[in-house]
Amino acid sequence: MSPNVLRWSASLFVAAALWELCARAIDNMLFLAPLTAVVLRFGELWASGELQTHIWVSLIEFAGGFLLSAVVGILFGVVMAASISVRGLFDPWVSMLYATPVIALGPLFILWLGIGVPSKIAIVFLTAVFPILINTVTGLTTTDRNLLDVARSLGATPAQIYRKVRLPAALPFIIAGLRLGVARALVGVVVAELFGARAGLGFLILSAAQSFDTAGLFVGVLILAVAGVVSVEALKWLETRLAPWRFQDEEP
Amino acid sequence: MAMPKLSTSNLGKVFRKGDLVTEALRDVSIGVNAGEFVGVVGASGCGKTTLLRLIDGLIEPTTGTVTVDGQRIDKPGDKIAFVFQQDSLLPWRNVLDNTVFGPEIKGREMAAARGVAREFLHLVGLRGFDRHYPHELSGGMRQRVNLARALTVGADILLMDEPFAALDAQTREIMQAELLRIWRETGKTVILVTHQIDEAVYLSDRVLIFTVRPGRLKEELAIDLPRPRDLAIKRTAEFVRYADRIWRAIEQEVRDSIGREASAFADAEE
Repeated sequence: MSPNVLRWSASLFVAAALWELCARAIDNMLFLAPLTAVVLRFGELWASGELQTHIWVSLIEFAGGFLLSAVVGILFGVVMAASISVRGLFDPWVSMLYATPVIALGPLFILWLGIGVPSKIAIVFLTAVFPILINTVTGLTTTDRNLLDVARSLGATPAQIYRKVRLPAALPFIIAGLRLGVARALVGVVVAELFGARAGLGFLILSAAQSFDTAGLFVGVLILAVAGVVSVEALKWLETRLAPWRFQDEEP
Repeated sequence: MAMPKLSTSNLGKVFRKGDLVTEALRDVSIGVNAGEFVGVVGASGCGKTTLLRLIDGLIEPTTGTVTVDGQRIDKPGDKIAFVFQQDSLLPWRNVLDNTVFGPEIKGREMAAARGVAREFLHLVGLRGFDRHYPHELSGGMRQRVNLARALTVGADILLMDEPFAALDAQTREIMQAELLRIWRETGKTVILVTHQIDEAVYLSDRVLIFTVRPGRLKEELAIDLPRPRDLAIKRTAEFVRYADRIWRAIEQEVRDSIGREASAFADAEE
């Protein structure tokens, strides 16, 4: 086991112990449920099958919205990078929508698409697509001039330059965009569900809060935290595998 | 007398960017013989790099022509290979895949190309590094890969744009000696641009001295030092005389260019 894993485990263990101690000292289940109570509640929700439904619904919304944003973000980024005039047409919209808290449009989407999964996918899509789109455009338009010269000097055609230089050079940017997008997509899922839903982890958190079930609330939060860490770490790992030269300075 | 391998006639280049017009190169006519090693020196801003890019066909001349083996050059082709400054290796490709980039672009048979690439990697002194990535190599090693990649193209002419500028002094000396060895073994025709006078004298059969803004050929100096040359030749009186002569030809312009850079720096600071 690497020292890093040891530090991770130690840090998590200390935090868990502190949580448990504080909760017992406060001794108010409504204010702060102890970790053991959260774990017990997790068991109850799991045994009833309710938790699986929430996880499944949120997973569908997350995966659907994120995959859609990845496909659209990358494809549209490629189109925008290819043409200055297309960029000119869409740049103001991209900037505006990127800066707008899309979540504020949540009620509107529920009005348009209903309370079910489609409205959530739309919100997740809109929150996650812009970092992916912007990073794709940046990656494709900021290729190192020296590398382009090398390819041109060797007689490469524009298509070859695109395939063999610009695209691979943009890949780490695109992965970084996906990493930013994944975190935003998770937030999008929860907030979209808070506006109105019939199931999902956001719904679980909201309904637990409304019924003074603090332990149930933490069950939802902890599952989301784990999902966030796992997905971001997975993309980080992918980044280091695909573009090891970008991380050489960060090594100890 | 035989026709030169490479020649330029009345070569000139003017860059326009908005209202800004910069004449980088004016009326350059040079000839380089097959197997000759020619050095190009001058203060910064003398259009040395522009000259190489014009010869390679990377940019179009405003006036004049470039001719290789009697054929006009108007775009990058098979006859000329370019050795760029450091960090022009594709970071996502290992050493071998970087080296075969030229044949790959031209759609050659890859198994044979890899064999050729390995031979040139051995020639430049990189044995057993095929699977290493550029970020795992030192600056000197990266420059060796750059050289091997250019050699693998199979062109007769090598254009080198300050290939050792980014290296530390000791590595640079070693690479200069290595370059002479490789040049001797491959018989290439070389044009090397450098801002290091001693590098130009040590390597070249002939040094072309350029003036600044616009860049023009000011003087040609044949270097009649015996070959093969080892590094000790740099301490001989003859070598120092050549270096002094070149330095005197460009000294005032180098000082001016330092002054220009200093004032540009001061402007930027304000």
